[in-house]
Amino acid sequence: MALVVLLISLLAPPSAPGSAAAAAQPPPPVTAATLVYLESPTDTPGQKLVGALLDAAVFVALVAVVTFVLVALYYYRCTGFLKNYMRFSAFFVLFSMGGAIAATVLRRLGAPLDAATALVLLFNASAVGVLSVFASAVPIVVRQGYMVALAVIVAAWLSRLPEWTTWIMLIALALYDLVAVLAPRGPLRMLVELASSRDDELPALVYESRPTVGPASGSSSYASAMGSVEMQPVADPGRSGGNQYDRVEQEDDSSRAVVEMRDVGGSRSSIRERNLEREAPMAVSVSGHSSNQGGSSQHAVIQIEQHEEGETVPLVSAASANNAAPNEEHRESSSSDSGMEFEMFESTRGIKLGLGDFIFYSVLVGRAAMYDLMTVYACYLAIIAGLGCTLILLSICKHALPALPISILLGVTFYFLTRLLMEPFVVGSSTNLVMF
Amino acid sequence: MTVAAGLGYALVALGPAFSLFAGVVARKPFLVLTLLTSTLFWLISLIILSGIWRVFLPIRSGAWWPYAILILTSVAFQEGIRLVFWRLYKKTEEMLDSFADRISKPRLCLTDKMLISLAGGLGHGVAHAVFFCLSLLTPAFGRATFYVEKCSRMPFFLVSAIISLGFLVIHTFSMIIAFNGYDERKRSDQVFVPVVHLIASVMTLINLAPGGCVIGTPLLCVVGAVTLQYCWQMVWRRLSEQQHRQFSS
Repeated sequence: MALVVLLISLLAPPSAPGSAAAAAQPPPPVTAATLVYLESPTDTPGQKLVGALLDAAVFVALVAVVTFVLVALYYYRCTGFLKNYMRFSAFFVLFSMGGAIAATVLRRLGAPLDAATALVLLFNASAVGVLSVFASAVPIVVRQGYMVALAVIVAAWLSRLPEWTTWIMLIALALYDLVAVLAPRGPLRMLVELASSRDDELPALVYESRPTVGPASGSSSYASAMGSVEMQPVADPGRSGGNQYDRVEQEDDSSRAVVEMRDVGGSRSSIRERNLEREAPMAVSVSGHSSNQGGSSQHAVIQIEQHEEGETVPLVSAASANNAAPNEEHRESSSSDSGMEFEMFESTRGIKLGLGDFIFYSVLVGRAAMYDLMTVYACYLAIIAGLGCTLILLSICKHALPALPISILLGVTFYFLTRLLMEPFVVGSSTNLVMF
Repeated sequence: MTVAAGLGYALVALGPAFSLFAGVVARKPFLVLTLLTSTLFWLISLIILSGIWRVFLPIRSGAWWPYAILILTSVAFQEGIRLVFWRLYKKTEEMLDSFADRISKPRLCLTDKMLISLAGGLGHGVAHAVFFCLSLLTPAFGRATFYVEKCSRMPFFLVSAIISLGFLVIHTFSMIIAFNGYDERKRSDQVFVPVVHLIASVMTLINLAPGGCVIGTPLLCVVGAVTLQYCWQMVWRRLSEQQHRQFSS
């Protein structure tokens, strides 16, 4: 389920960067990424390549330096400064960059809006955004919405970069990500380890995919399920499994679990009865065919689908023979604790995806959108496939993994393959209305 | 011809797939994964195919035989991909079953298998529709429409949307037929699928003739309907057999 949420929110960014970038084609702004070299269409490919390489190197170096500074600040416990800095930067991004993009969109749509109203609206929106991103008492939907909005804004800004620079920069960032997370003294790795050893909250922008604990269950049971999960002791990283079924057992033992079956189609009743028989010792008080009308608000609703066993299996049993591997996406709640940009890692409580990953995925897709829709679909699929691969690897390695490299490399490969090979083929055959 | 038309074309091509997705696939994450995998498979097969054919393109002559060869190779290749996909699925299923045994949960039942094959087929069909129809549809959102020279009665987008719909139906349900055929080792089902695919592809060759799309497109829809009917019969037979067996045991 969380995976679906994730996919949907990944799907959301592409359109916006595409449209915003299509709407605005001003001369590319001078940013950190184009300090050294500003691409002009008349240059030769060699010149462009060298310039783009330089740009990417400078950009990556900047990112690395900033990351090191942040890690150092965190190491010496300047959390107050860090928090305020993050708040300020989020506000700045929402207010100025978001404002610029909103102005472009408004101009593009020809919608009249006077400056005072726009300012008030913008200020309100960004204030709420900052609050919702960094305060914990905000509904998760709002927070996720603002996370996605932040990612979209930054991505739209970044996809105004010239083409060669974008590609080289994406690849360089993917490589940097690989190094920073996996190298023994990599900054991001140090950060994550520090955060998990201190077990406290790091002010960073992390997209958490909190599970949907069943659409049928009301908010009260949702909250209690969260509570019950969060009360569990945090497993140490070595046993970062916390197998899903363990948890099911635990909650069954407390004997106030309503098991709601959502089984698969046809032979519904038989499966249901079989399962209920198995659950009968624990859930007998509330079982029966109307088992899910437990009603009282402290029932945690667990959903066992027959398929849901299956769905962890390809991820798990491909990984390891014993089923102690952690499961990813389902029904685990994640409280926001640690993590940094570029990070995808998983505690017992869910997966977290650094906001930076979102941003660069969106940059990739947005850049693909400037060519054709076909490349967008191909890149999108490739990114999803890369995410899937990373998830599988995650269940093998059980520590923080970089989410960028596989996805970005696959995405770039698919982009160029699609552009060079597939497009003439598909267009050629389908404009003749020959398909297969 | 503005946004409404573009949306309409997109829905003609992808509407049934969307409702299948929302109604059946989206509820079960494993099916979503299957769908994505098969979509990726199809995309990769398309890329490989186009990599092979890139050398010979674009076909300038008005003759029809290069297209026939193209279609023959493509269909053969894609049926090969289907076999690979089946092997992969078989492995996954074994893993699932052993896993289910270990945690003492029931194994996959017949309807689950059929759902998985449906998701796989839907992935193929959606990929086809997306790459052959949806990716060319962007101009349809503009103010004009486009007619191919050979087919001056219907707008190009409408024809391609309907053809995509037909292929979506064919891909989706022939995957169910094929998986069942492989499962039961029934020769007729195994042969039926490539034959249908080939027939449907050859139907599109009619579009090369002047004015042929008026004939070819409905024929393609008929092929899709035949596939649907065949699949329905087969699924019905399997299900009733299974029910019978459950009764007797």
